[in-house]
Amino acid sequence: MAARVSVELVAPGIFVWRDDDHVETFHCVRDGEVVHLFWRGTAYRLEADGESSRSAHRVVPGALEAPMPGRVIAVRVEPGQAVTKGQELLVVEAMKMENALRAPRDGTVKSVAARPGDMVSPGVVLVELE
Amino acid sequence: MFAKVLIANRGEIAVRVARTCRVMGIPTVAVYSEADRGALHPREADEAVLVGPAEAARSYLDIDAVLAAAKRTGADAVHPGYGFLSQNADFAEAVLRAGLTFIGPPPDVHRAMGDKQAARRRMAASGVPVVPGYEGDDQSDGALLAAAREVGWPVILKPSRGGGGKGMRVVRSAEDFPSALAASRREARGAFGDDRMVLERYLEKPRHVEVQVLGDTHGHLVHLFERECSIQRRHQKIVEETPSPALTPERRAALCAAGLAAARAAAYVNAGTVEFLLAPDGSFYFLEVNTRLQVEHAVTEAITGLDLVRLQIEIAAGKALPFGPDEVSAQGHALECRLYAEDPDHNDRPAPGRVLHYAAPEGPGIRFDSGVVAGSEVTVHYDPMLAKLVTWGRDRGEAVARMRAALRRTVVLGVTTNLARLQAIVDHPAFRAGALHTGFIEEHLAAPAPPVGPPPEALAAAHAALRLSRGAGSPEAAASDPWETLGPWRLA
Repeated sequence: MAARVSVELVAPGIFVWRDDDHVETFHCVRDGEVVHLFWRGTAYRLEADGESSRSAHRVVPGALEAPMPGRVIAVRVEPGQAVTKGQELLVVEAMKMENALRAPRDGTVKSVAARPGDMVSPGVVLVELE
Repeated sequence: MFAKVLIANRGEIAVRVARTCRVMGIPTVAVYSEADRGALHPREADEAVLVGPAEAARSYLDIDAVLAAAKRTGADAVHPGYGFLSQNADFAEAVLRAGLTFIGPPPDVHRAMGDKQAARRRMAASGVPVVPGYEGDDQSDGALLAAAREVGWPVILKPSRGGGGKGMRVVRSAEDFPSALAASRREARGAFGDDRMVLERYLEKPRHVEVQVLGDTHGHLVHLFERECSIQRRHQKIVEETPSPALTPERRAALCAAGLAAARAAAYVNAGTVEFLLAPDGSFYFLEVNTRLQVEHAVTEAITGLDLVRLQIEIAAGKALPFGPDEVSAQGHALECRLYAEDPDHNDRPAPGRVLHYAAPEGPGIRFDSGVVAGSEVTVHYDPMLAKLVTWGRDRGEAVARMRAALRRTVVLGVTTNLARLQAIVDHPAFRAGALHTGFIEEHLAAPAPPVGPPPEALAAAHAALRLSRGAGSPEAAASDPWETLGPWRLA
């Protein structure tokens, strides 16, 4: 039944797991509220799923955020414009690659908070849909 | 031999070049941008010079700044690596004008091969097979659309002065053509400062194969066999190997002969690569010549036992090739996987961040060339490749088995990587059967794998690990710590 398990820290971020018939190395580091775990060939990002760990990040319905840090190189829509699902709203360039921000559904553009040339960070709301 | 080599690059390749120079007893100078103050490559060289701000155009691509660094440090040769200025004829020329040696082909070779239209014409005239396409001077939207119609859908748009997949787009209908053309031009302008386009018939399910060539300044030209680089995303290679599992000895000989013919037509000097598309029927077509060391050169090194950077340096120093055309033999099979900080589940978007923890795989037949270490910052400014994992085996099966095992011991924590995708590729039955083509990922691995949580014992291990790590932490911090409460976890 319940195996006797021990975990030992052998070097920064490197641990050894031992149970009755098994010994193996795994890797684990913590970065704020995120824990990075490497276990049997796979990397996992974990967060504690509790009240205290909820991120400061507010989710606004219809808000479309920058997918990654980069520069806005094209804005294709303006407030009041009707858009269809999949339509390109604006384009962010990062690491020399263009990434289009597309409408997740049909709707009307409520606001556009970016202009070509703006540097944006992930989480910044660029377009709001109604 | 050179007194000092300046390495005009960053990351993995800068580190790799510095290592060969060290073996050869040649001091090195690294250049770095403000974003790379803490990077690995300046530490791997004997000296390091700050050449500008994070933005590549004002640092790694700033010819004057790079040459000023060479002058200040007394370097008498420049190795450009790959990417950045490596295929820039003006840079090669400026290096020569400054009285230094450029470790690579002469400027006119860069110029002739960098202009893909001229290169195709020259190859076609030399009897090297080329894909049907358009390379005309009329670059109007109308002319390009008409050409696409004539070549036949699907077509692929490519920047005339490009490389690395940037600005390339496959277009399947006249309807999609205008927006694809506009986007390709924009990317080409941004990346290469030139938005002229070449257009070609897009072959369905082709393989990407390429021939490594080496030419010295005494008129000797040899090939070092082929590489197959069919596994690509966004038209960029991520898994490469040699020999190609698709070629019979006869087709291999024909391909390598065509590669040599192309290099001869280009009057090639130093290390270069002639790229071809290989159709399912065994026919192959010239794509382009890469006038630089390739990212994937290490697989060729693995089967030949040669150090291509060393050969590049010796050729640049005026030495004759140390072997003749039939004196290089290949042994076994080699694979390369490129480890990127990118998110395969979200359109391969780059995933910047800090590498918190890093461990390289070890074992027989494993080589790990990395540009980062634990603590390195992966920024938005540059290509997000972290490292190249190369395995060698007596045959393809052994090389694949070693790669599969090595990928399970490649630990990168802190940034999202394509590790799981690389594992999925080499684990795939089609990959293990050698049934490759450039649409392999779209065909076999398009659907993102559903997020799978860690098994219960892994969570238990993580909890125990955190408790151990926290030993040194302050009690106040621990009191308000969400990790103290062993609540449910979720994948972040």
